[in-house]
Amino acid sequence: MKERKNLPLAIPASIVLNIATIVISVLLALSIFDLDEFYALGDTVQYFVGGIALVPAVAAAAAVILLIMKNPNGRFLSLALHFLGMIAASIYLLHIWGVFTGFDAIAGALYENSAWLWGLVIAYALYWFAGRLDNSKPLSSRIEMIAVGIGMLALIGLLFFGGILEATADILGKYGQLETWVVTALMVIFGIVAYGILTLGEYFGETTDQRTAWQGWLMLSPNIIGFTIFFAGPLLLSLYLSFTDSVGVKEPNFIGLDNYSQALSLQFKTQGENDQYAQDALDAGYRVLETVKVGDKTTVIGAKDVYFWISLRNTFMFCLMLIPLATIPALLLAVVLSSKIPGMKIYRAAFFLPSVAAVVGIALIWRIALYSSSIGFINYALTEFTRFLNDTFGTSFADTEIGWLSDTRYMMFSMVLMAAWQVVGFNMVLFLAGIQGIPNDLYEAAQVDGANQLNQFRFITLPQLRPTTFFVIVTTIINGLQVFNEPFVLFRGAAFPDEVRTAVLNLYLRGFQDILFGYSSALAWMLFAIIFVVTLIQFRLNRDKTA
Amino acid sequence: MFKRLLVLVILAALLLPIFAVNAQDEITLRWRTRPDNQAEIDVYQAASDEIEAAWDGVTLQYEPGGSETASYQDVLITELTGGTAPDVFWIPGTDVARFAKLGLILNLNDLAAQSEGFSIEDFYPQIMEHLTYSLDGSDTLWGLPRDASAFAIYYNEDLFDEAGLDYPAEGWTWEDFRAAGEEITALGGDIKGFGMSNWWGPYGYFINAAGSSFFNEDYTGCGLANENTVTGLDFMASLYNDGLAVPYGEDPEPVFLAGNVGMFMNGRWATPGVVANATFGWNVAELPVGPGGPSNWLFWGAYVVNANTEHPQEAWELVMKLTSPEIQGKIAGLGANIPSRVGGSGVDDFLATFADLELNNQAFVNGLGYGVAENPVWAGDWSSIGTALDSGVAAVVAGDLSAQEFADTICAQVDPFFATE
Repeated sequence: MKERKNLPLAIPASIVLNIATIVISVLLALSIFDLDEFYALGDTVQYFVGGIALVPAVAAAAAVILLIMKNPNGRFLSLALHFLGMIAASIYLLHIWGVFTGFDAIAGALYENSAWLWGLVIAYALYWFAGRLDNSKPLSSRIEMIAVGIGMLALIGLLFFGGILEATADILGKYGQLETWVVTALMVIFGIVAYGILTLGEYFGETTDQRTAWQGWLMLSPNIIGFTIFFAGPLLLSLYLSFTDSVGVKEPNFIGLDNYSQALSLQFKTQGENDQYAQDALDAGYRVLETVKVGDKTTVIGAKDVYFWISLRNTFMFCLMLIPLATIPALLLAVVLSSKIPGMKIYRAAFFLPSVAAVVGIALIWRIALYSSSIGFINYALTEFTRFLNDTFGTSFADTEIGWLSDTRYMMFSMVLMAAWQVVGFNMVLFLAGIQGIPNDLYEAAQVDGANQLNQFRFITLPQLRPTTFFVIVTTIINGLQVFNEPFVLFRGAAFPDEVRTAVLNLYLRGFQDILFGYSSALAWMLFAIIFVVTLIQFRLNRDKTA
Repeated sequence: MFKRLLVLVILAALLLPIFAVNAQDEITLRWRTRPDNQAEIDVYQAASDEIEAAWDGVTLQYEPGGSETASYQDVLITELTGGTAPDVFWIPGTDVARFAKLGLILNLNDLAAQSEGFSIEDFYPQIMEHLTYSLDGSDTLWGLPRDASAFAIYYNEDLFDEAGLDYPAEGWTWEDFRAAGEEITALGGDIKGFGMSNWWGPYGYFINAAGSSFFNEDYTGCGLANENTVTGLDFMASLYNDGLAVPYGEDPEPVFLAGNVGMFMNGRWATPGVVANATFGWNVAELPVGPGGPSNWLFWGAYVVNANTEHPQEAWELVMKLTSPEIQGKIAGLGANIPSRVGGSGVDDFLATFADLELNNQAFVNGLGYGVAENPVWAGDWSSIGTALDSGVAAVVAGDLSAQEFADTICAQVDPFFATE
C-alpha cells in the first residue's frame, strides 16, 4: 500500500501511453492490411510491412506487463518505445509542415538572398581582426561587438528576406487541421513521458552498467534508425524484388530465380557450315557474346542478356586498369610530398583537389575541353608535340587524332584515366598518413647500415605501408566495381557504347530506361555478391601474407 | 498577466488558419513538362498562370521537370512508383506505349468525345496514328502532342564559302552531300565535313532515306533485313571511315559551334544554342534526299493524364488548353519547338522566329511533312530494340561488323523483343 502511494506519475503515464501505442500500432497494421494495393509492391511486402507495424504493439504489451511487475526491462522497453514514438511523431510532423517537400523552396530562397552571407563574411573578418588587437584595449571589444551585430543583422536579413515569416505563417496554417494538433501533442507527450521514465533509474534499482547501456543505445539510435529505414529496408525490398517481375508501377509476380537465370544464361555452340553468321548458330533468344576460333572450329558463345556479361567484363577491365593508375602514382606522390620542403602543403592540397570536386563537373570538362578529338586540349598538345618533333628532328610522325570518346579502343582508357586522376589525391593522403606513421628509427638504422634512398623505400617504406596499401587497393577495387559516374557523364547524351557499359550503369539502364526494377534488382545483388567475394579473397590473401 | 496574454495571442494565431483552410475548396492540378532552358520554363509558367486566371475553380501548379540531362524520366518514374506523380505530364513519343501498357496513363477517348470543337484531325496524322493505338479494340486516345520537331542540316556558310561550294539547295542528294563533305574536309586542319550524334535518330535517317525501316509495315516486327539497310549504313559508315565526319560517338555540337564542322545534323531543339553561340555565318537546310527519296523523322512527345488523377475531366481540359493554338504559338515563338497542329497561326509564329537571321525555318516544317513519326512500338519493347540497334550500328561504323551482316542478323536479335509483349 505504501509502495502504491509512492508510485511515480511517469509509470501510469507510460502504461497509458503504451496502451495508446498498442491501439495506434494495431490500427496502422490493419490499415496496411486493408489497402487494395500497397505501392505496387505486392501482397508479400504488404503483409511483411503490416507485420512490422504490429511489432510496437507486441513490445508495448510486454512493456505494460513488465512495468506492472516493476521489472527494469519494462522501463527500458517503454523508454525505447516512447523515444521512437517521439521520433516518429517528429518526422510525421515535419512531413505535415511540408519541410521535406519544401527543401527546394528553402534552398531557392537562401540562394536568392545569398548576398546577405557577405554580412557574415564581413563579421567574421572584423572578429578576426579584433582578435589580433590588444585584448585589453576597448577598441578590440567594440569591434567585436560591431562584428557580432553585423553577423546578427546579416542572419536576420537572410531569414527575413528568405521568407521566414511566410514559412512560419505556412506552418501555422497547418494547424488548421486536427491531425497537426494530434501529432504535435503525441510528440510532446511521448517526449515528456520518455523523460519521466528516464529519471526513474533509482526507482527501478538501475545499475551503472544498465545506465551505460541505455546511454549507448541512445547515442546509437540515430544511426540505427537511419540504417533501418533508409538502408536495411530498401536492401531487403530489393532482394525480394529480385525474385519478381517488378516494373515498379504495378503489382509484381513472384518468378523465383528467373531474373538470375536470364542474366546468367549462356550458350556454347559450334558454328556449322550452314551457319553463315555466328548469330545463326544460336538458339532464338540468344545473342552473340563472343566467338572463339580454334583451328577450323569456331565456337560461338551466346547469352540471353549480352549486356550483363559485357558490363561485367568492362567493370573488371576498369578495375584492373584503375588499380595501378590509382595507387602507384599516389604512392610516389606521397613519398615526394612527405618530404619537409617549404610549400609542400600547397602541393598536397592541389593534388587532393580533384578528389573533392564533383565528378559530374569534372567529367564535363574532360569530355569537352580535354577529350574532344578535334577541339580538345589533349589532342592539341599531341599535335603540337608531333609538330615539334618533326620540325626539330626532321622526323615524319603522323598527327594521329585520337578519338578518346569515340574510338572503341580508347573509351575504357579515357574513363580510367579520368577516374585515376580523381582518386589519386585521396589515395595519396592515405599513403601520406601511412608514411608518417613509420617510426623514424628504422630509417636512421638503415642509414647507419648504409642503405640508400631506394633501398630504404624498398625495404622499409613499402613493407611498413602494407596495411595502408591493402586498404587503398580494397577501397579502389570496391569503388571501381561500382563505377557509374564516369561512363554516365562522359558518354551521356546519346547511346551508351557497349564498351563503356559498366555493371552499375547497366543495372541503372535496365531499371530506369527499360523499367525492369525486378531484373535490375537481381543484377544489383549479383554485383553485390561479386564485390563481396572479391573483397573476401583480398582479405584472405592479405591475412596469409601478414601471417 | 503578460504571459497569459501572450499565450492567448498565440492560440488565437494558431486557430485563425482553420477558417482560412476551410475556405479552400479549389481543385489543384499539377502538371509537368521537360523544358530545354530557363526561357522555356518562363513561357510555360506564364502559360500556366494565364490558363489558371481564366479557369474558375482550378489552381495550376506547373513543375519544370528538369532538363534532358537532369533525369526527367527517372524522377517521373520514381514518382509514378510512389504515387506522387503530377496529374498531367509530358513524355517522349517513344515512351507512350510503355506507359499505356503499364496502365500509367488514362485513355482520354471518352472525355475527348464529349469535348465540343475538339478534333484529332488538327494534329499531324503520323503522330495521332500512334496516340490512338488501341490495346483492346476500343476507341482510344492516349494524349495530345505538345509539339513536333524534325532534323535539318545546320551548315557553316563560312566553310562552304571557303571551299567554294554552293549552299545546300532544296532537293539536294546524298551525292551532293558527300561531295560537300569531302570539299570541306579537304580544307584541312581540324575541319570536318559532317557531324551527328550516335543515337537512333541520325542513323535511322540514313536507313530510312535509303528506303528501309526499323519496322515492318504494321510495326509488329523488324524491317531491317533488306539491301536498302546495307546501302544506308554503308553510305553512313563511309563518312566516318573516310574521315569526313566528327568521330562517331563524339558530341559534334561543340565542334560545330567552334566552327570546325561544315554540316551538322540535329533537330530544331538545337537552334537556340546555335543562335546564341555560333560566331560564323550559318543556316539550315532540309536533309539530303537519299536513294529511297526524301526522309526525316517527326519527333514528338505528348501530354498525357496520370491514371491515378483525382480529376480526370479537369486534367483532360488542361491537356487541351496546353495544346491550344495560342499556347503552342507562344512556345513556338521561342524558336525551339514546332507546333504539333498542322498549319494555323502557331506555325506562322514558328516561321517568324529568328527573322533577323533569315533562317530557313521552312526546312523543318517541310521535314515534318514527310517525316516518319517517332514510334512507341506498341507491339514490342522499344527500349531493348533501340539498345540492340545502337550496338549493331556502332559495330558497323567501327568496322567490327559489315552492313550486310548487320542487315542479315539484326532481326534475329531484335525479334524476341517484339514477342515479349
